[in-house]
Amino acid sequence: MFSLTRDPIVPPVLAAAGAGGFVAFDGKVRHDHAGRTVVALDYEAFDELVLAEGRALLAEATAQFGLLEARCVHRVGRLAVGDTAVWIGVAAPHRREAFEACEWILDQLKRRVPIWKKEHFADGDSGWIGSDVTPGEAPVTEENFYSRQIRLNEVGAAGQAKLEAARVLVVGAGGLGCAAIPYLAAAGVGTLGLCDFDRVEATNLHRQVLFAARDVGKPKAALAARFAQRLNPFIAVRAHGARLTAESAPGLFQHYDLVLDCTDNFATKFLLNDTAVAMNKPLVQASLYQFEGQLHLYDPAKAGGCLRCVWPEIPPEGCVGSCAEAGVLGVVPGVFGALQAGEAIKFLLGLGEPLSDAVLLFDLRTLATTRIKRAANPHCPVCGDGAPPTEIDLDPFAPGRDFSRWTVVDLREDHEPRPLVELGSTPWRHQPLSRAAEWLAALDREQPHLFVCGRGLRSGNFARRLRREGWPHAYSLAGGVDLALKARPRSA
Amino acid sequence: MPDLLQLKVQYFAVFREQRGLGEESLASAATTPAALYAELQARHRFTLAPEMVRAAVNGAFAPLDRPLASGDTVVFIPPVAGG
Repeated sequence: MFSLTRDPIVPPVLAAAGAGGFVAFDGKVRHDHAGRTVVALDYEAFDELVLAEGRALLAEATAQFGLLEARCVHRVGRLAVGDTAVWIGVAAPHRREAFEACEWILDQLKRRVPIWKKEHFADGDSGWIGSDVTPGEAPVTEENFYSRQIRLNEVGAAGQAKLEAARVLVVGAGGLGCAAIPYLAAAGVGTLGLCDFDRVEATNLHRQVLFAARDVGKPKAALAARFAQRLNPFIAVRAHGARLTAESAPGLFQHYDLVLDCTDNFATKFLLNDTAVAMNKPLVQASLYQFEGQLHLYDPAKAGGCLRCVWPEIPPEGCVGSCAEAGVLGVVPGVFGALQAGEAIKFLLGLGEPLSDAVLLFDLRTLATTRIKRAANPHCPVCGDGAPPTEIDLDPFAPGRDFSRWTVVDLREDHEPRPLVELGSTPWRHQPLSRAAEWLAALDREQPHLFVCGRGLRSGNFARRLRREGWPHAYSLAGGVDLALKARPRSA
Repeated sequence: MPDLLQLKVQYFAVFREQRGLGEESLASAATTPAALYAELQARHRFTLAPEMVRAAVNGAFAPLDRPLASGDTVVFIPPVAGG
């Protein structure tokens, strides 16, 4: 609960049951400012906006720190030295969250909530001041934050604007993510999404340097998001704490322009690759082994191919050691995560030579780097015309999958009931299979087509026939419209 | 006895670990990366199945059945997932 008052603040009582820690902050009018004696302060607020923003930030704090209760009272009007100007109280299951949340709320309040103060000095002088300016220090502005970067000819104001407009998703806030995230945030990537379902473990700490020993047990995505947001208040940081699945990945990818794969297992790496290819998103990937690693940039606009061009099938987990099994020197993910951030920034700025047609191998022990040229595999199962996937499962119908370049061809006959599945604005043509000889020639075989029928049998046979006849992008909806309609609520 | 090819071989990740070194020059009767891997796997007890191995010849990914010539540099790359 957030409130404004013109009367002296009486600290409210927090009554949350089950709280193991209550923390309160009592912010008073100080008797001096920048070496001058203060006699009084006037606080002025834009009430509606203050209340709305104040409530929003308490709700955010409640969600982020798992609070049981959060209250804030701000006083407005004329205050004397020693009066309470703001009071914040939080209750949480444990003390650590309570302390952190209380400080976070105060920091956010000063930055986001439009309350101004006018100081009256003992010498009769007075003046309005920004509430979050530390005396003697220049305020942090976007201009001075990025000034050393904008100074680069290759960046400049135009490049900085590109970064500000960019939306980057980092999947995995482990060793790689912990190195990539701060540099992306500090560079001013305007929207930074951080996806990790995991919690900090003690065995992470030697390499996952955004986390402290006291963070063990806490969710990585929220911790990393808080770090990034503190580092750079001018960007939007979003934490995604749910496990990424084939069904949820497209919905998440649609909000971003570029994805960093900072994960640590084959299944997720291939999921990210397949989703990136399907949605035409560039993917910067790194993988590690002990003292060395591999760096890739898969750019759908270039001929360098994708992960499946090199490994068409997902290698079985455990065929090579993970960090847990084989060990890893902490600085190795640091190097590779920073390289990933560098490749992402280069890509967004159109700077230098992106690694879109090669893999970079680097070994920390010898400092040897090896570049190996990589070309698209025409028989790649996801970005080439390789078998199998003539069949597309229900994933394409998950929210956000981009079918804008596709044509859906409904093969059901006139006498059949033909319920439809919504696919955004993708054209949905009804072309009965029995009259295929009449309409087939009018379709462009180079364009992607999704053939559908009731249960997927006719469309499957038809798509396979077209593949044999030289239609590289003929697909069938597995399970047909019937299954898609049944499954929709699950993916909603 | 056919002529042996003089090859330079580089190992990464689990191969480097199992071989105990990162690079060596050797003479081999193998004429393709696949045959070379079979020979080295037998000699050094590499654990990775051949279908999981990728090879690069002279700095570019190459099919495992690409013919080798004396003087080629062959790199064996395992899949890597750590992060």
